[in-house]
Amino acid sequence: MIDIEKINKRLEENGFEEFSVHDNGVGIVLTGESDDWDRIIGAGFCAAEKFGKMHVINDVNFTGSAIPKMRLPELEDSAIDGLHPDVLVIGGGIVGASIARELMKWDLDVLLVEKEYDLALGASGRNDGCVHPGIDLKKGSLKQKYNLAGNRMFDQLSEELDIDFERCGQTVVFDTVKFLPLMRLSRAYFKRMGLGDVRILTRKQLLAHEPAVKDNCKCGLFFPTGGVVCPYNLTIAYGENAVDNGAALSLNTAVLGMQLSEGSIVSVSTNRGTVYPKVVVNAAGVFTEEIAKMAGDRFFSIHPRKGTNTILDRKQARIVRTSYSLLDHLKTEGHSKGGGIVRTVDNNVLVGPDAFETYQKEDYTTEGKNIAAVFAKQGRVTDALHIGDTITYFSGVRAPTFEEDFVVEKGRKTWNLVHAAGIQSPGLTAAPAIAIDVSQMCVEILEENGEPVLPNKAYNPKRRGIPRLSKLNDTDRSTLIAQNPAYGEIVCRCEEISRGEIIDALHRSVPCETVDGIKRRCRPGMGRCQGGFCGPLVAKIISEEKGIPLEEVCKSDAKSRLLIRKSKGGDLID
Amino acid sequence: MTDYDVTVIGAGPAGLAAALAAEKNGKHVLLVERAARMGGILNQCIHDGFGLIRFGEKLSGCEYANRYINELKASNVETALLTFVTRIEKNKDVFEITLVNRDGLRTVKSRALVLSTGCRERTAKQVSIQGTRPAGVFTAGTAQYYINILGEMPAKKCVILGSGDIGLIMARRLTLEGAEVIGVYEAKSSPSGLTRNIAQCLDDFDIPLHVSHTVTRVFGESRLNAVEIAQVDDKMRPIPGTEEIVECDTLILSVGLIPENELAETMNIVIDSKTKGPVCDQNYETSLDGVFVCGNALHVNDLVDYVSESGEAAGSSAAGYSANKRILVDITAANDFAYAVPAKLNVNSDAAKTVLFFRSREERDKTEVQVLVNGASVYKKKYTKLRPPEMERIVVDFSHVGPTDQVTLEMREV
Repeated sequence: MIDIEKINKRLEENGFEEFSVHDNGVGIVLTGESDDWDRIIGAGFCAAEKFGKMHVINDVNFTGSAIPKMRLPELEDSAIDGLHPDVLVIGGGIVGASIARELMKWDLDVLLVEKEYDLALGASGRNDGCVHPGIDLKKGSLKQKYNLAGNRMFDQLSEELDIDFERCGQTVVFDTVKFLPLMRLSRAYFKRMGLGDVRILTRKQLLAHEPAVKDNCKCGLFFPTGGVVCPYNLTIAYGENAVDNGAALSLNTAVLGMQLSEGSIVSVSTNRGTVYPKVVVNAAGVFTEEIAKMAGDRFFSIHPRKGTNTILDRKQARIVRTSYSLLDHLKTEGHSKGGGIVRTVDNNVLVGPDAFETYQKEDYTTEGKNIAAVFAKQGRVTDALHIGDTITYFSGVRAPTFEEDFVVEKGRKTWNLVHAAGIQSPGLTAAPAIAIDVSQMCVEILEENGEPVLPNKAYNPKRRGIPRLSKLNDTDRSTLIAQNPAYGEIVCRCEEISRGEIIDALHRSVPCETVDGIKRRCRPGMGRCQGGFCGPLVAKIISEEKGIPLEEVCKSDAKSRLLIRKSKGGDLID
Repeated sequence: MTDYDVTVIGAGPAGLAAALAAEKNGKHVLLVERAARMGGILNQCIHDGFGLIRFGEKLSGCEYANRYINELKASNVETALLTFVTRIEKNKDVFEITLVNRDGLRTVKSRALVLSTGCRERTAKQVSIQGTRPAGVFTAGTAQYYINILGEMPAKKCVILGSGDIGLIMARRLTLEGAEVIGVYEAKSSPSGLTRNIAQCLDDFDIPLHVSHTVTRVFGESRLNAVEIAQVDDKMRPIPGTEEIVECDTLILSVGLIPENELAETMNIVIDSKTKGPVCDQNYETSLDGVFVCGNALHVNDLVDYVSESGEAAGSSAAGYSANKRILVDITAANDFAYAVPAKLNVNSDAAKTVLFFRSREERDKTEVQVLVNGASVYKKKYTKLRPPEMERIVVDFSHVGPTDQVTLEMREV
């Protein structure tokens, strides 16, 4: 039961008198009007019930600005029209891709749709790649449950999907020793929680561990179960393995509406046709609320929260051995640990992210002042970060609910629906475990509906990644070059990527024919010259391999052509 | 036993000159080039103005390169094209260089090494341009490659940021190819390129140059559709309130070049924080014995003629490389200099005709440059004008400098 009066009183006491809540039977509906987005968010948090099954649904009329509509692909065709998949998964991020792959363990027709031109273009491709130990998560929260379970799966998963994963640990640095007694006590607690043998680092041990920390860093806690992974590689690997096992993938496919009947989804319309799924999985990231609404099952709200990370040159990698952050004992505002310093699997250093509430779900722009603030903050831990070593920076938008916990459950009103919503950090860590539960829920729904679901006997959990020649030993590298000389022709000098690797990336089970898609798959252009040298070469390889004119090669989506036309002419040298 | 006396890495103008010079000294030379063709960036420089000092003629970049390539083909220098150096290890006095190409991996042994790896362009993010990440943002060299090598136009209506020489050349090139160049914007208060290029590439085509302006932001989700331009203060910081949105489909960046020294860094060679190239002595030898450096990998040159000169000198030095102990003295340039190269003098080697290259930090009139040893002037030269974009070259006799002497460079108004 929701005590609406109590919540309204709380809103008033906290100065949110222009807002009020009511119970609509499925959630705590927040109403009112404001031109101040931060106040709306403040009211949403204030109205949220900790550990409540009832979520805040934001129906406040925001008058400050027009909230941008979801960006839609221009494409219109009937590529998937009339399909009757057993399960339709909406959203090609880490959550959707991992669910699709997990579903392939069953003998099911699975269709994964993604509105963008590639997988992992939302938050899944725009985060720091940390596989979190699960340090500060609330006991009993879904975040904690799935983080711990997901974390344990990464060794096997990275092996199966052939992706880079390093269990390098995570360090929390303290600028005071006054917590040392507490830290000693907490070790047993961490162990019980499943965080393994957490080590206390004295100043000396901390220095041996992270040589670049400043003098004010007095001690630290080392969490051995922390790790790093490349988040978009993991998502793409999941997608490829799902497709390899028979899942259908439709990119550039946006869900536009649903036809409902008697508490059930009958059909789902997209820009590429109407499909008739037996079960729908809502894994649409920041747009899970919109999908829930289409499905007649909106009982939570997503409030987008943006963050920006800066990528530093890999020569900076020596300053970071694991990933670390300074614990803010003066608890600052916000609901994110406030960023840190991370060494990626590709040996770059990431600085950030920060956290800002925004009404724009797809605003991936960056701001200089935010980047400067992140550097100033991390400058408290080390002097070794230099903004001049920046390679690039990027923003992502998280998808939290006002309860700041995941929503992983079957539809409350719509019976053939499963939500995987509100998945923000540590969503990357949690996704493998969430996928298991969500796929189980799908199977249950199908079986309840009288559909026997059998295991997929042909299921192969193994995927072979694109070889990274520069990481191989000389013998293995020579062997591969002997088989395919293109592996010996270096195209990207900064990251040492060969023509062969790029060609491989163009012929995988998740289609890719863009410069950015190639960059995410095998890294040409990820280095310090940012594609200055290899960009045209990659475009040319795409053109040759895909049989399209060079002028039609795109950087990202279909409207992002690199070139305008041929030059005035004359005879070309080659 | 070594395979080669000298291995030269990079077959642009510096590497070509170095390889030829080493070979003329009777050495067995390997020249390694990453691309399929020798010549480096000169291959995409179809404009003229190359070779005035060296050949007394105005050549295109391609013609300039071809003179060396033809000579090289007639020489005994061995070449490895489409070949990438993946690692270098120094084992006692021998360099073991591991090469990768379509034939596989191979490790060659060499007594001396010349790094002639050139430079790369600074990118949009390195000059703090914010906003989205659309298609249509190119460095000038990349745009030049598209047009001159691939025969493709990357722009219809464009803004150029930075008045470095490549930016100016591209303003003209894009105009000739039918694109509209809205203007060249430069954050500094004076242009970064050579005076002749301002005249020939901008003035002759009525392309406006806006100094003390920079691009702060790009717009467009897929393809660029506009940029934000702001005026900057004397510290090159954007002045709030001066922002202006300029519609365009392309932003071309000519915002500086950075010597490519990743190989040098893997060998822990000391890098000069001012030039971003390795610290070297008058023989172009770096902090690691037996490793020489030249051209734009050493410091970014204004004219290819100087690149060839340093290549030749480095190649000759590498050919004559002996394990003689070096005694190095600092050559310290005063703050009025942006930098001076070399930064070291080996007093245990011939220093009678030491070539010094320098740039002034700021534009200045009537200036006297002096070289002092222990405070006493050993060389003076007067300049009516010094501009940071234009490199200066002087030859100084340092043959009497000893291990405990102090060498300094100064400049003053006259």
